[in-house]
Amino acid sequence: MGIAPEAQVETVAPHEARAPSSPKQVAKDSLIGKRIAKLDAPDKASGKTRYIHDMDLPGQLYGKILRSSRVHARIVRIDTSRARRLPGVHAVITAADVPYQRPLGVGKDHLPLKSDRVRSPRDEIAAVAADSPEIAAAALKLIEVEYEDLPPVFDAAAALEPGAPVLHEGKPDNIAMTFDYSHGDIARGEAESDVVIEDTFRLHYVTHCCMGVSGVIADFDASGSLTLYSQTQVPFLHKREFAEVLGIDPGRIRIIQPPIGGGFGSKLDIYPFEPIAIFLARATKRPVKLVYTREEEFAVSPTRQPVVLRLRSGAKKDGTLTFREVETLHDNGAYTSWGATTPFVIMQTISSLYRVPHCKYHTSAVYTNNPYAGSFRGYGNLQGTFAVESHMDKLAEALGMDPLEFRLQNAQEPGEVTGQGMHFKSCGFKDCLRTAAGRSDFQRKHREYRAAQAKSGRYKRGVGIASMLHVGGGAKIYPSDGCGTILKIDDFAHVTVMTGASEIGQGSETVIAQLVCEELGVPLDAVTVVNNDTDITPWDVGVHASRTTFIAGNSAIGAARKAREKVMAAAAKAIGYDAAALDLRQGMIVRAADGESIMPLAKLLRSLHFSDKAELVMTTHYYEPPSQHQDKGFKGDVSAAYAWASQVIEVEVDTETGIVRMRNVWGAHDVGRVLNRLGIEGQVEGGVVMGQGYALTEELIVERGVTRNPAFRDYKLVTAPEIPEMDITFIETMDGEGPQGAKGVGEAPAICIAAATANAIYNATGVRIYRLPFTPENVYRALREGGSKK
Amino acid sequence: MTADTYLAPKRLDEALEALRGGEATILAGGTDLMVQSQSGKTPIGPKLVNIRRIAGLAGVVRADGEIHIGALTTIAELLEHELVRTHLPSLAEACDHFASSQIRNAGTLGGNVCNASPAGDTLVPLLALGASVELAAKPDAAVTTRAMPLGEFIVGPGKTQRKPAELLTAIRIPVPAAGGVQRFFKFGTRPALDIAAISLGLVTVKEGGVLRHVRLALGAVAPVPMRGVRAESMLEGRRLDPALIEAAAAAARDEVRPISDVRASDWYRRELVRNMVKRMLTDVSQS
Repeated sequence: MGIAPEAQVETVAPHEARAPSSPKQVAKDSLIGKRIAKLDAPDKASGKTRYIHDMDLPGQLYGKILRSSRVHARIVRIDTSRARRLPGVHAVITAADVPYQRPLGVGKDHLPLKSDRVRSPRDEIAAVAADSPEIAAAALKLIEVEYEDLPPVFDAAAALEPGAPVLHEGKPDNIAMTFDYSHGDIARGEAESDVVIEDTFRLHYVTHCCMGVSGVIADFDASGSLTLYSQTQVPFLHKREFAEVLGIDPGRIRIIQPPIGGGFGSKLDIYPFEPIAIFLARATKRPVKLVYTREEEFAVSPTRQPVVLRLRSGAKKDGTLTFREVETLHDNGAYTSWGATTPFVIMQTISSLYRVPHCKYHTSAVYTNNPYAGSFRGYGNLQGTFAVESHMDKLAEALGMDPLEFRLQNAQEPGEVTGQGMHFKSCGFKDCLRTAAGRSDFQRKHREYRAAQAKSGRYKRGVGIASMLHVGGGAKIYPSDGCGTILKIDDFAHVTVMTGASEIGQGSETVIAQLVCEELGVPLDAVTVVNNDTDITPWDVGVHASRTTFIAGNSAIGAARKAREKVMAAAAKAIGYDAAALDLRQGMIVRAADGESIMPLAKLLRSLHFSDKAELVMTTHYYEPPSQHQDKGFKGDVSAAYAWASQVIEVEVDTETGIVRMRNVWGAHDVGRVLNRLGIEGQVEGGVVMGQGYALTEELIVERGVTRNPAFRDYKLVTAPEIPEMDITFIETMDGEGPQGAKGVGEAPAICIAAATANAIYNATGVRIYRLPFTPENVYRALREGGSKK
Repeated sequence: MTADTYLAPKRLDEALEALRGGEATILAGGTDLMVQSQSGKTPIGPKLVNIRRIAGLAGVVRADGEIHIGALTTIAELLEHELVRTHLPSLAEACDHFASSQIRNAGTLGGNVCNASPAGDTLVPLLALGASVELAAKPDAAVTTRAMPLGEFIVGPGKTQRKPAELLTAIRIPVPAAGGVQRFFKFGTRPALDIAAISLGLVTVKEGGVLRHVRLALGAVAPVPMRGVRAESMLEGRRLDPALIEAAAAAARDEVRPISDVRASDWYRRELVRNMVKRMLTDVSQS
């Protein structure tokens, strides 16, 4: 067209319209620490967000999966002929119909479609693609399966007994995974101890309860390239995993993530329904959408890992911890997902939350015919912290010490390198302890409530404290823990940030935009974050380990700084100033000394673009945190920073019903620095409620391998009237490596709740309970029995 | 779950004619029916009869010493109704603890009664209040009606004496004596949106400290909502004191027949019955 580019852009540049016409002072405007509404909030609040459940592709079919009706059995015969004849059915597949499939998951022990054997009632036997979900469901009922039952095993300890049914060939002892860790010398630690205690803790099954149930759409193009509309938290690693399972070229898999209706770790692994949807799409040459029902979501998705944890701890009279010895038995379920690796995190709490000179840890994850366990916010740390912090209270009592003083005496400090090799460069642990205790008046209440235990009365009050250590600067569980960013600034000074980091509701998109604004001096609405397409965004290892703000944030800052350098150099050249004397503020190039505006950033960008030496501002950055991949003995500085928190909980126990009412939570969180105050408050409040559900109400009831309460009617999430008052303080330690000083916080707020609640119930009633959850019946029974060890 | 025929009569006699063949599924609020038909527990019959549009089947009136509640009266309407709040506070209390606002707006009293859940929230106060049900049918040209006490009407979990051609049209409750005592207590594991693990209803008259006409009803502790007849007879004509309260609470605990399920064990249900009957009677003794 004949319109000169410069003339065209002059009419539409929005930032210039707002820019002052005459020289004017432009103030520095930082968004860090402000209360910023999430960028996706308006769409979510108004119902415009299109989740995968809202998406339909032209020509799409609906997939459904037939699952085992037996707990453990050999498949003798499958007859799909009647299902195939049902009008509206386009494909019925079994393992025999699939030309190639390999086991998936962390343990590579899980075939998508089971060929000869089922190991739990969730197991996939056949699948249907049909014109509607109703036809697909009707077709499933027409598939006949003949089984030959095999002896089942439902208890991890029983699965270790000689002669127990063996679940997987090549694993005759049913052990899916073991970990051994030690530092120091346990025998010496024990010899130095004045007090030694030992207890067994039992942790239960819970599940994520994402509002958006699991689902996927698989779509092949005519050349055989696959597009997956997926909810995964790990798009780049999963490309490779899908390729291995399906036997296709990973380069021809594109993963697009529509907005994800909750993750919390549940989408950290791939699951059979995803390859199955792909098989169906390939068989029908049509897009296939496969979305779970809520009952399926409850009954077949991996759970938080149930654990039996035996803990021995010792201390000296003067209040110094001497040793910890731990043995854990994890019910792995029938297959191995990330749940089996949660001991890795439990280990960190055992070895390094407090200073413990001698430590030993042995753990096994054992196959059973139960539901299998995956990753879930906190990743073993809720279980480990429950045991460790229950013991901290017991040791303090045995030593006659105040529980806060005892913890302060053994708490980590900045600069510490633990026996496990973790280096705490920033550490606000003692501040967290003092703040949470101070704001709750913990010590006075603890004394008074204990003294009131003997008094009669239906209701008893108690306070409990617990603290946590979690990775806050990524976790180098792969050889790399990095994240890439591509950044461009267009002719109108609009910034597009393409990040490898996925948004799963945690607010990373908003924080990344804020961090870029801080570097480039542009307003928030001048930034778009693209984070959901593996063909566009650069590599990342996924949403886990509370890493996204830290890793992706640093990566985005790196890309923004490179863009800034480029812009400033060009501005200096154009204006004839020294670049160091210039600044970027509110979309303007200004004089750094007094903020006097010189020219709109957009104008500079256009002059760069439409010049003889035409140039665009586009940068890339790859951030790899300065952390270590741990050695075979699980030692090494696995994270670039560590997060700390202490929480005090006050409860009221109804001794006539066993109801524990959580009245208050006082939390103090070392988050490095607050980036988005509104976002971090939401993270902490949501995490507290998730921890409350784990402590008090939630339990997936599994009997003989079958989930008995696969519905919200009987799986009790916390409801609004039960949510406690919260008093949250952020401890800003300004981590040297963190983006603007921040550390990860995603998992932290859920971790201590069960532990602090256990201590509060003990303070209220004098009865210590060693198993979760603290449902009214469990608490009532414990009060009657005066405590339950087993 | 699709019916061949869907009918939405506007008059009672039309509805009763539609029910005559006995192959009909009755739809009122739908809050139980929709869930149960989806899960396969209550398949919808060849004929689906929506009774929601029948005139005159909703509302609360007082006549002839009784409070007459139309079957289509919603739980939300009961909760707000002046006659219910004044004379049947234990029923109002049960309605207040009934599911969620959305369910209370759609669910009807007739539906709650015909669903005959052992844990049905309104059944316990209705039983304690001495309610009876009114059933209508149209075997030939004329509409016939019959009435029976609620305690006889419900015969098992989800089972009633309603014949397939009958429609429950109303619940009738004798107006309780002025100055009488009514209590309702529901125990779920959380304060909202829960199914009762146990529930209790108590209706009695305190005459100079002496209990008369004691009716204690218990929910979710037997196949049907039941009366605590042994506890009632211990209390009848007596003055409450700590020993009597303890003994009556123990009697109630011993006469219930709970099961263990995902919501509670039988042991815990019995413990709750004793503790909460004791709590309720202590409260009555002090009022």
